[in-house]
Amino acid sequence: METILRIGPCSIVSLSLALMLGCREPKIAAPQLRFVEVGTESGLVHPTWCGRDDKPHLLESGGSGLALLDYDGDGDMDLYLVNGWRLDGSEVIEKGANRLYRNRGDGRFEDVTHEAGVGDEGWGCGVAVGDADGDGDPDLFVTNFGMDVLYLNLGNGRFQRAENAPGIDGWSTGAVFFDSDGDGDQDLFIAAYVDCSLDDVLQAERSLKWKGDKVMVGPFGLEGKANRFFENQGGGQFVEATEQTGLSDVGLFYSFAVIALDLDHDLDLDLYVANDSNPNYLYINDGQGHFEETGLWSGAALDRNGMAQAGMGLASGDVNHDGLTDLFVTNFENDHSTLYRNLGSGTFADISVEAGVWEPSYMPLSWGTVFADFNLDGHLDLFIANGHIYPQADHAPESGSGYDQFNQLLQGELNGFIDRSSTAGPGLAVRLSSRGVVSGDLDSDGDLDLIISNVDAAPTYLRNDSMRAGHWLMIDAPGAIRVELSALNWSRSIDLTRGSSYVSVSDPRCHVGLGTIDRLTSVKAIWSHGQVVVREDIKADQLIRMVPEQ
Amino acid sequence: MIRYIAMVLLAGLALSQTTPKSMVAAYDAIADTILATKKAEHNIVAALLDGHFHGAQAYHSSGQFDKAAAEMALFGNEGDNAIGGIRKKLLEGGHHHHSDAEAKGTYEPGFVIITRETKQNVLKTVAAYRLAKSAGDREKAWKQFSELAHAALSP
Repeated sequence: METILRIGPCSIVSLSLALMLGCREPKIAAPQLRFVEVGTESGLVHPTWCGRDDKPHLLESGGSGLALLDYDGDGDMDLYLVNGWRLDGSEVIEKGANRLYRNRGDGRFEDVTHEAGVGDEGWGCGVAVGDADGDGDPDLFVTNFGMDVLYLNLGNGRFQRAENAPGIDGWSTGAVFFDSDGDGDQDLFIAAYVDCSLDDVLQAERSLKWKGDKVMVGPFGLEGKANRFFENQGGGQFVEATEQTGLSDVGLFYSFAVIALDLDHDLDLDLYVANDSNPNYLYINDGQGHFEETGLWSGAALDRNGMAQAGMGLASGDVNHDGLTDLFVTNFENDHSTLYRNLGSGTFADISVEAGVWEPSYMPLSWGTVFADFNLDGHLDLFIANGHIYPQADHAPESGSGYDQFNQLLQGELNGFIDRSSTAGPGLAVRLSSRGVVSGDLDSDGDLDLIISNVDAAPTYLRNDSMRAGHWLMIDAPGAIRVELSALNWSRSIDLTRGSSYVSVSDPRCHVGLGTIDRLTSVKAIWSHGQVVVREDIKADQLIRMVPEQ
Repeated sequence: MIRYIAMVLLAGLALSQTTPKSMVAAYDAIADTILATKKAEHNIVAALLDGHFHGAQAYHSSGQFDKAAAEMALFGNEGDNAIGGIRKKLLEGGHHHHSDAEAKGTYEPGFVIITRETKQNVLKTVAAYRLAKSAGDREKAWKQFSELAHAALSP
């Protein structure tokens, strides 16, 4: 008889009984991951819409993103939820307003959309967070099907819609604020998908044959829309600089998620774009804000067989503790999501099979994804949000996938990942058509929770109730490019990522699971323009703030 | 207008039972143009691949191994993402250089010279070249790449 140690009083009783009865020494399982869905009781009750029930147009497949930000500067993470439109036939029956939820400090939320003035009613797709006007507080950029919107944070709980804001008039998807040229202000890259009009959407009919049914057409056969880059001239004045900086969308590929981070460890921010049905882009920064697109030869554009995949969402993290940030790209059903190991010097290798992500990711259709150390054991775990694009998938049960799908949680270990989805608590039993996901410490208890956006449903809020395997540290270093941590015989180097998941933004603070380490000899934060802040002798299990001297 | 031309053509056919020589000549000229264009497409892709091969060779010879690996990978991918964009445009317009062979899985959609098998072999060779632990391993990978490239570019 083997007894598995699980959290909770029942487990303790079982363990005690097992010991009293003279059973073999109990096997201590890996720290149990456990999530509980608390969306409704936390006040996250409003659905986000995406078109009609039968989804005749590709736009209705994408859902919408979400962002965590501390908009009111009270130290906890608030939630911005992007919303689309609800259609019936060719009629618009509801223009879903985006919503801002203020965190009351304990992980419960109140809707402050109206007071804050951020309830845009465009057909929302994604969101980026950054200090666009350089006044020290986070602003919101919303990508729409239609004209994008920039909301400037006034610092008093209210936002003002910026005039002459950068953006794309059409179907834009992911976006990211990042300092491309080290001048201290936040530039903006916007990804775009397909060139189409509202009339195309309203008049669309399902005409593509798929598994005996008819479904939406695309993206093959539809013209791509160009990504664009806007340079911040200071104070929130943006000028388009796509061509000049080398950030052209040369293939007019169908772009979704985008992240900015220092992938080649030369202390500037590079850019990675997940493209649907086309090779992904990797733009390497020369340090002066000029980029070279190296996707195809870097190894990060295609899978191990040289095939382009249906890139949807992105996660970044150092899964093998070699100091280099690896990339995970989610893909379509009946194809694996891909883990690219960073080999250094801007080159990558597909290690999906070796790392154990190939098999669990093959059947689902995957979107948002995040790396995070949910059980604080020192290894990054991986959460993946799933959901089909065709509601007609429910008519083909033999395919093993429906429109609503379970999300997945893969536990990180020394040699790769193990799928713990079926044992990770009731939160992983929620089955919807999910899209964006963000992670952050929403209830200020030191571990990372999750919020997931769903198509035509309210978001899912998964509170992290996992058994803790160790200590943690949260570092708030706004604008830093890297954080380095050291302890006795132990070190970590973490590249901080702008943007994440699928058209969404996670908690910007750097959360590190420390395992058994309870004290760090030093924590160093590094900025792209060479500034360094070092703190020494840091106790674990706390939030520290690091800002460069002016 | 098109209907009018068709009616005139049909009237001509009805009278003569043969296609007018001028129409045959026009269509024949168009056929030559289509075939010449397809040949031109092959030639420009061959020139592009030749450029990547010689670029790789130059970098390899001068010890710039990362740059050589990049050129080798672009050879295997039949060009960079800018070329991929043109391929995508052609596919969206209904043009497949090897429609039958694509259906059989020999070529990826839109590829002109590099077969699926060659692409996979080149990319494996690039990985071996990039990760080579010794000069000997790198030379071995380069030799394999050279053979694959020559085979792909041979008439």
